[in-house]
Amino acid sequence: MDTAALMVRNIRLSYQDGMIVNDFSLSLQPQELGCLLGPSGCGKSTLLRAIAGFQELDSGEIWLDNELLSTERHRVAPEHRGVGMVFQDIALFPHLTVAENIAFGLTGWSEESQDKRIAELLELIGLTGLNQRYPHELSGGQQQRVALARAMAPKPKLLLLDEPFSGLDTELRGRLASEVRTILKSDGICSLLVTHDQREAFDFADRIAVMHDGHICQFDTPFNLYHEPTSPFVAHFVGPGEMIDARVEGPRSVSSPLGVLTHDADLEFEVGSDVQIFLRPDDLIHDDDSSYQATLVGKHFRGAHHLYEVKLDNGVVLGCFAPSHHNHAIGERIGVSLDIEHLVVFPK
Amino acid sequence: MAITTHHQSVRWAFSRPNGLLLTTLIAALCVALPVLVVVSFVLTGVSDAWSHLLDTLLGRYALNSLLLSVLVAIGVVILGVPAAWIISFYRFKGRGVLSWLLLLPMAYPAYILAYTYTGLLDFSGPVLTFLRDMSAPEWMMDPLLNIRSLPGAALMLSLVLYPYVYLLARAAFMEQSANLMEAAYTLGQSRWRVFTRIVIPMARPAIAAGTLLAIMETLADFGTVQFFGVQTFTTGIVRTYYGFGDTVGAAQLSTLLLGCVFFLVIFEKASRSKVRYYSDRLRKLNQTSVTLTGWRQSVAQILCILPVLFGFLLPTTILSYWALFFAELQSMWSLITNSFFLAGFASIFIVMVALIICYANRLYPSQWLNHTTTFVGLGYALPGVVVAIGVLIPFGALDRLISQALAPFGVQPSLWLSGTLVALVFAYLVRFLTVATGNLTSGLSRVRPSIDQSGRLLGLNQFGVISKLHVPLIRGSVFTAVLVCFVDILKELPATLILRPFDFNTLAVKAYELAGDERLIDASVPSILIVLVGLIPVIWLNRSVTQE
Repeated sequence: MDTAALMVRNIRLSYQDGMIVNDFSLSLQPQELGCLLGPSGCGKSTLLRAIAGFQELDSGEIWLDNELLSTERHRVAPEHRGVGMVFQDIALFPHLTVAENIAFGLTGWSEESQDKRIAELLELIGLTGLNQRYPHELSGGQQQRVALARAMAPKPKLLLLDEPFSGLDTELRGRLASEVRTILKSDGICSLLVTHDQREAFDFADRIAVMHDGHICQFDTPFNLYHEPTSPFVAHFVGPGEMIDARVEGPRSVSSPLGVLTHDADLEFEVGSDVQIFLRPDDLIHDDDSSYQATLVGKHFRGAHHLYEVKLDNGVVLGCFAPSHHNHAIGERIGVSLDIEHLVVFPK
Repeated sequence: MAITTHHQSVRWAFSRPNGLLLTTLIAALCVALPVLVVVSFVLTGVSDAWSHLLDTLLGRYALNSLLLSVLVAIGVVILGVPAAWIISFYRFKGRGVLSWLLLLPMAYPAYILAYTYTGLLDFSGPVLTFLRDMSAPEWMMDPLLNIRSLPGAALMLSLVLYPYVYLLARAAFMEQSANLMEAAYTLGQSRWRVFTRIVIPMARPAIAAGTLLAIMETLADFGTVQFFGVQTFTTGIVRTYYGFGDTVGAAQLSTLLLGCVFFLVIFEKASRSKVRYYSDRLRKLNQTSVTLTGWRQSVAQILCILPVLFGFLLPTTILSYWALFFAELQSMWSLITNSFFLAGFASIFIVMVALIICYANRLYPSQWLNHTTTFVGLGYALPGVVVAIGVLIPFGALDRLISQALAPFGVQPSLWLSGTLVALVFAYLVRFLTVATGNLTSGLSRVRPSIDQSGRLLGLNQFGVISKLHVPLIRGSVFTAVLVCFVDILKELPATLILRPFDFNTLAVKAYELAGDERLIDASVPSILIVLVGLIPVIWLNRSVTQE
């Protein structure tokens, strides 16, 4: 017996005669907050539309709480799926008030329980007292929170969020992503977010599926995606870093321009084979006391820290984090040292 | 992001009978019918009357149409562009009122303006009598006496058509980013250089589009040129059809006219695509306009009031005066009920067809459907005379077929279609369907796909989405569509004149007949009614434009 809430099995989708997704599978546990992260055009929005029932499947199955929603031949209508959705363009009904928008999906509820649900949700999203406002009287962030409340109101089995924060300004975006996470966690509702913004995904999700060209590269926790990417694409997509050439020296060690580095487990590569290792800026730290010197060739002040680009004597350029007050000039020689707990190794 | 499955909709259209898609196809065929009929006669060869026409009259029709178009083009630019420029770039007393007063001449069909000025400038009329009493010189009175001429017709048409140029130019001026002008100033350019090098070149596509629309209307005009005795393509078509009874010749003349219109449509579309290219939504000019005082203010006011004065205020005053105190007219009520019933029924019918087309596009979007809808949109460019001839020929043929089929049953031959309101409503559908689809599409496009999808996910079925979400959201645009169609039908002269059932009169036809009998004072009653009703959408649309 599978305990998953949402199960997408081997589905194939196409749009305007072009295949978008082929043999795609994904499952979410009850109460889990999942995320599809990928560059635009990777098929993530189409997938979401398929789960919501707006897109026909070419093959495969979609299950929700052990109920079969979609197959090639059969498609439960969107209104009967128990799926809620928050849209990129917010899509509040402009002719209805906040309360009427939230109550829209509560057909069959008594007036009393409707009012109770509206009050409960408005409190959850922190907009108590704005029941009678119209959407155009609210700020962008408020509108998006009302849209969330409207989608949550009928207690759907699954909530889909299609780039819900991309229309908002950067500062609001990060804050709202964590806020929405808190709201959804307190309601225990299984959700799937689609986004191309890595920070938004990290703020929101328990597990993230990184997508590329219609397939999942890796489905893992944010921490693992960042520190243990399984492919060069994932490594580059979820944060900065540099790839450098190396050669396998022993079962756990490689030789590189930075010297011999050791891994905390056995490597899957034969001794003597050429590989690449992936280093993030946090693997290399600036240390004035280090005897290992490198030339500073670029710097980006990030407030709490600097991101330095340093050129090693053998010509390799790497990123390196430095404390905020360590202000060096470009061209200066600075000390760096490695802080690697495990290696990220890819075949060359 | 609105993703919909292209190949699926095509599959749906052909595998299941689908009312929406079928209706759209039929509507496209309806619009195509008159054009196809008219153009098909190109292949039938040259008739005797047509070769006579080629020798004698064709040159005159073409030359007059061309001259008239050129004069109207100059006229609408002279009347429309300065007004748009003043309203957009300067602040002065009365600017707000003038900015919408300048639109009011749109309520006038050109032929009504022609009747009014002819009556006003009659030899024994008030203006010339006054001038004679003042012993005004000949050179002042001559052009006024000769209003019924080609330049006179161009003036009438310019006075009612300049609002196209004014509206589009004003929008273009106002959309221009203030940053661009300021960038030019910081590069050391003078005001005049900025105006000639930045402002005008950027507004040129919009001005061109407005002028081309005015020329299309000029080529389609029948009432004005007919009354002024200027022989153009439209009068030529009617004369060939009725005067010489030559269907082939009329159809071939129509084809020539269609060819001209076709090129205008292409140029107009090209200009419009540039309009979009040049517009910038970042920062609008409004904040930077200059306030005028003293004599400069008076000049601005006068330049803006002149087109309104001659295009609306003066003729309306005179028409109302005549209608209230002098006109003698019986059976006004039957005229009004006829016109309003016809326009009301036809406009509701047209809007219903337009709704079906718009929903077909929304629910089953696809390339071929999109092309079909664009094609249906060309109906508005067809001159009323051409539509009428293009409807009359096939419907007449159908009538003969029906009569033949019914003859064995002892039924008398009759004009089953061509002599009834069916033909007329069909012609209106061809000509005005675009007006309705345009209004509805813009209304429906504001209801984004995500609104529909939210409704579905919150428990509505397709019908519920339409009744609970679309109906309240697009009610306004449906009303506007009906209103604009209603007024256009009320004003339409040539198609109504040619296709109306025997003895069935409308306000426009009555005004035409009375003017033709030189009863210009009596013609004022139907005329002023058309203008007053025509004012409603002009004011309504201006309100919605300024609100946005």
